[in-house]
Amino acid sequence: MTGDPPPHPAESFDEVFDAYFAEIHRYAAKRLGPDAAADVAAQAFLEAFRQRHRYDPERAGVRTWLYGIATKVLGRHQRTETRALRARARLGPGRGAEEHTERVDARVSAEGLRGELAGAIAALPRGQRDVLLLVALADLSHNEVAAALGISYGTVGSRLNRARTTLRKALGGTNPMLTLEEQHG
Amino acid sequence: MDEVRMVRDSYPEPAPPTAREIARAKALLNDPPRRSRPRLLWGLGGVVAAGAATAVALTVVGGNTPAPPRPSGPVHLDDRALVLAAAEKAEQQPTGKYWHEDRIDGQSYIMRPKTGTYAITGATTESFAWWGAKRGMGEGYYGRDLPAHPSTARDAALWRKAGSPSRFRVWSSDHYYTYTAKAQKWQLDGPNRGTNPRGGGEFLGGVSAKDLPNLPTDKTKLAEMFMGDEEMKKLTGPKFADKGVTSRLKLMRVSALLSAPVSSQVRAGLMRALADQPGIHSIGQDTDPLDRRGVALASDDRTTTVTGEFGEPKAERGTYRSRTVIIFDQRTGALLSVQDEVTKPGGPYAEMRPGFIINYIAERSSGWTDTKPTPPAALPFH
Repeated sequence: MTGDPPPHPAESFDEVFDAYFAEIHRYAAKRLGPDAAADVAAQAFLEAFRQRHRYDPERAGVRTWLYGIATKVLGRHQRTETRALRARARLGPGRGAEEHTERVDARVSAEGLRGELAGAIAALPRGQRDVLLLVALADLSHNEVAAALGISYGTVGSRLNRARTTLRKALGGTNPMLTLEEQHG
Repeated sequence: MDEVRMVRDSYPEPAPPTAREIARAKALLNDPPRRSRPRLLWGLGGVVAAGAATAVALTVVGGNTPAPPRPSGPVHLDDRALVLAAAEKAEQQPTGKYWHEDRIDGQSYIMRPKTGTYAITGATTESFAWWGAKRGMGEGYYGRDLPAHPSTARDAALWRKAGSPSRFRVWSSDHYYTYTAKAQKWQLDGPNRGTNPRGGGEFLGGVSAKDLPNLPTDKTKLAEMFMGDEEMKKLTGPKFADKGVTSRLKLMRVSALLSAPVSSQVRAGLMRALADQPGIHSIGQDTDPLDRRGVALASDDRTTTVTGEFGEPKAERGTYRSRTVIIFDQRTGALLSVQDEVTKPGGPYAEMRPGFIINYIAERSSGWTDTKPTPPAALPFH
């Protein structure tokens, strides 16, 4: 994000839409699959449009603000997300998600989501899952996640740690690198 | 490699949004009834989301029988005449400073104890919303979860026979879920909830205070305006644009408009317009989940097959037919309920009777007041 400052939602929402719709759609598509993604992205922008006067540039960047709204909208589609994750979990390790659903674009990475990992993500409490996926999929910093979700910086850290511990256990927890990293905090 | 990167790498890269999806999302913003749109979408959600869920979870085998079987119940007059008479009786409502609407939605699930199969209503919520007559007078959206409960008197009898449980473990789409008989207090937090002191002047169905006096009362003009092909395509996208979905969507559209403070003449015009639509039939009298009788219109019925693809237990699998029904109060022309009803039992509803309500959105009350409305404390059932 360099160059011109981002447009202010209250003044030029069209520009905000053009700049970020594809990105928010991608985030939704990763979490929910392609069918629900268009609806969720549209709902998120509608929600953002309704709240545009309340957007506070002091608190968060436009992009962060949008991810926060999208994550809240995604929250209404928990079942879809869980179903998508479970479907992948059932495939077991090493099989691509695209083998399961022909709707996934042909250009998807061959690997897909590993079964155990998908199952573990599906089992995470929603708060931890939101933090983990905002960091992993949206590349938000801890500060940005805190602003997006309206939680404290400390909560972001503790939720992320708990999520990582759960995933590690689910994956066997045998990787010495992971253990080492844990010690370093 | 850390877990965060592993998670990142394990999600496949999705396809970008299509031009149509982008255009549709943008069109939502450009439509003038901005604040009421989410509620309208929420109202339509039943149809669109059900369509989407069906595409994923079930195999749909077409529909469109011209004369679906009619639920039990006496029909005294010509069915269509009944609806038109109700339209005529849509009385002039007094106006006020605040409009409110109280609605209840619910979903049926099947309990199969040895003492006898019965239905419960779960995932049931009550939504209370108010809007100031003019912009700047504010608007508020409340919601509360309602207790899960046996659906009808007959179900209640079987529920008692089973020992009157207060927890209901039922199959829900792709997993078991336990609904409880616990009620919730009214909530102002959460998606689609809260108050906006600067809101007001825009209502359900996408009509604003400014639109209200200018709405046509003529059924042809109303049909063009709210049920035209272009309008429907905008709402469904080509994916769902078959005749069955379109007629259900028209029905939902009219129900949303009837939840707004439209005049009695517009109300009557909308009912007449809907009765004229292809794929919409008069079915005489029907009863809603709040036990209120009224006159009804219905969509063509459609076939749904639950295949077991998503782990559905044997008892949930099989084929049934259902249709979407809208019920009006015969005396006042007020909207009572929109509900999906089984026309030919089978699959999860094999032990239910024709007319069994699969899910519904019922209007508990609506109207004008001079003081800011507050949601009712009393629960709608029991």
